[in-house]
Amino acid sequence: MSPARQAWALARLDLTVWRRTPWAIAAAVIPPLGMAVLVTVLTWSVTRQPVALVVEGGGPQARVMARIIEADREAYKLTVTDLGRARQLLGRQQVAAVIVVPSTFDQDVAHGSASLDLTLNNVDIDFGDDIRRAVDRSVAEFDAPQLGASLERTGAAQGLVVPNAYRVDVAEHDLRHTTVTYARYQAVPVLILLLVNVGVLGGALLGARDHERRTAAFLGTAPMPRWSVMAGRLAGTALAIGVVAVPAVFALRLTHVVEPPRGHWVPFGALLAVTALLSAGIGVLLGSVVRQSATVALVAVTVSSYLFFLGGGFTTIAFLPAWLRTASLAVPTSYAIDAIRQILFYPDLTGVGRDLLALCAFTAATTAGGVYALRRVEP
Amino acid sequence: MASARLELTQLGRSRLLLAFTALEALTFLLLVSLFGLTGSRAPTAVVDEDHGPLAASLVGFLRQAHHSFALRSLSAERARSDLTAGRIVAVITIPPGFSAAVAAGGTVALPVDVDNVDVDLTDDIERAVPSALAAFGRAHGFAGIRVVAAERDLIPHDTGFIPYLVVSALALDALVVAGVLGAVAMTREFEAGTLSQWRLAPVASGWLLAGKLAGAAAVSSAAIGVAAIVVFAGYGIARLHAVTLLLCVAIFTCVGSCVGALLRRSLPVAALFFGLALPLYIDSGALEPERFDGNVIWAIAHASPVYYAVGVLEQAVHGLRVTPEPVSADVAVLVAWAALAAGIASSVVARRAVRS
Repeated sequence: MSPARQAWALARLDLTVWRRTPWAIAAAVIPPLGMAVLVTVLTWSVTRQPVALVVEGGGPQARVMARIIEADREAYKLTVTDLGRARQLLGRQQVAAVIVVPSTFDQDVAHGSASLDLTLNNVDIDFGDDIRRAVDRSVAEFDAPQLGASLERTGAAQGLVVPNAYRVDVAEHDLRHTTVTYARYQAVPVLILLLVNVGVLGGALLGARDHERRTAAFLGTAPMPRWSVMAGRLAGTALAIGVVAVPAVFALRLTHVVEPPRGHWVPFGALLAVTALLSAGIGVLLGSVVRQSATVALVAVTVSSYLFFLGGGFTTIAFLPAWLRTASLAVPTSYAIDAIRQILFYPDLTGVGRDLLALCAFTAATTAGGVYALRRVEP
Repeated sequence: MASARLELTQLGRSRLLLAFTALEALTFLLLVSLFGLTGSRAPTAVVDEDHGPLAASLVGFLRQAHHSFALRSLSAERARSDLTAGRIVAVITIPPGFSAAVAAGGTVALPVDVDNVDVDLTDDIERAVPSALAAFGRAHGFAGIRVVAAERDLIPHDTGFIPYLVVSALALDALVVAGVLGAVAMTREFEAGTLSQWRLAPVASGWLLAGKLAGAAAVSSAAIGVAAIVVFAGYGIARLHAVTLLLCVAIFTCVGSCVGALLRRSLPVAALFFGLALPLYIDSGALEPERFDGNVIWAIAHASPVYYAVGVLEQAVHGLRVTPEPVSADVAVLVAWAALAAGIASSVVARRAVRS
């Protein structure tokens, strides 16, 4: 039997063993599923904040102010109510802030000294600052409508500057035509996490299983070269990744989460294939070092999570401090996540070739390490 | 005591498990820190082509705009290339003649180029620039500004996002570390087939279980202690409440024992806890009081012990009330969780020991 056929036989055997270990499949799929749920929950909470609006003023200026706030649906999840109920809602944490348009608003506007009263539950600055910014914008919109949410990307952006009290008009130009939703931006790297988790855990478990069942000895004495054993294990683990990843990509395509621009499908497929091989290589390496199934799951999940988070799976590496950006250069998944965002969200493929080359280099290094580790551990 | 000592001995033999469990505790701190670092201060370039005093003043107000921008002064070319390469979110260009025109009472267009790849960051920029302009206009007393915002905060001090996050991350640490070790303490008995020997012990199986869980909780406390020291020293949070943390560890060890008794296999334990931990964490008031996310999500959060643990820890450390329920109610529910989980584990163990 040729070494290639031997490797293929081992790959099929590994795939069968993996398929008959439902707990291993569950262990590999649960963290990405958890991450997907997390992203979904976050989309409900990151953009709009619950705010109560109390309009005590009955004049036309008070109504204008109220309409400005009511119209900004991107910033506020608004409850219009009276002051007593608003205070109750604030106390029960049903709203994070209360905005009051006071009864003297119209007179104060006439004197040029009106105020919009904001009572804020400033538990932490993240959402507190979101509300502060939104209220500032609403206030600015009163005297300068072009600074408000409803007139974004109009006026100055189209070369028409209308004088306003703040003496500055914002001319916003967006880099791209479509705005990627928060859910989509964060969900795409979860696909990489799925590949990495199945690959690392699958490869590591197959290796650990060989040691626990002493089948490593058979592999050691089998008349097949080491590279053939490694190729077989890599291929088996990569096939296991394919079993999980192909339906996942299909589902993400149906839900429009994965929607590459024209001509980006081939680099997208190449990226997933190289990432799968890389994950399998890391898994095989781990399996030859950690030889107990019970421990291997914890180690593999931890390694996968570091690969995901330090690779920018939950953040944007470019926005992190310099030392973290430098550290991420040594994290192979940073190239995969960078590339998948470029392929799916940008019209061109700038940097994707470099990312694929880096991934190939990491894959070659882990494969060489795996061959060496197999030489060391087999009797 | 003997059962606890045995558990400690067995855990002592699994050094890799212990090392990775402690590492897991630090992993979550790192994770939430990374999240917190990108939660505010969007990296933004300022291209000052005016160099006048009002341009400098505007840059100052952009810097102070509610932690919105991490400003970098760049040339127009460098800013453009950084924006297209995804290294910054936006470029704010102050055009030549800005100071003179504004001083003369004119209105100047301020070009803001935004990489709108992520709607969350784009929204922040779109709100922050008018916010800075509003402060700029008020500070210089421009005529025609008739309305200002008058803010009153419920809490006398602001709490930073990362200090808030890392404290709730300790609750997550307790869940994962104590949960995994509590679960493994149980699954080891099932996998090694040693449950039958529990029947031969001269004490009730509940005592043996309590001893095992005490051993697992002691090791978990040490791992959480490492994470707490990092929070104390690395994040400058001076007021850590050891008793509350130990309470969380004890409770989550019981929850882990219940999961271990039901799963009976070590393999999926770590993945299950890790996979469940993140959604439970986010849906627990870890980022902000959970009720702000709406009544449905808040109601779901009540099914998670992490919700109550975050409520207790944020109160103990920062003095913040993040659940509408009083802290005493949070503690009571946590204790009920522990009792229920330990009860289920004990019942499963007793039944399996008889069968064995």
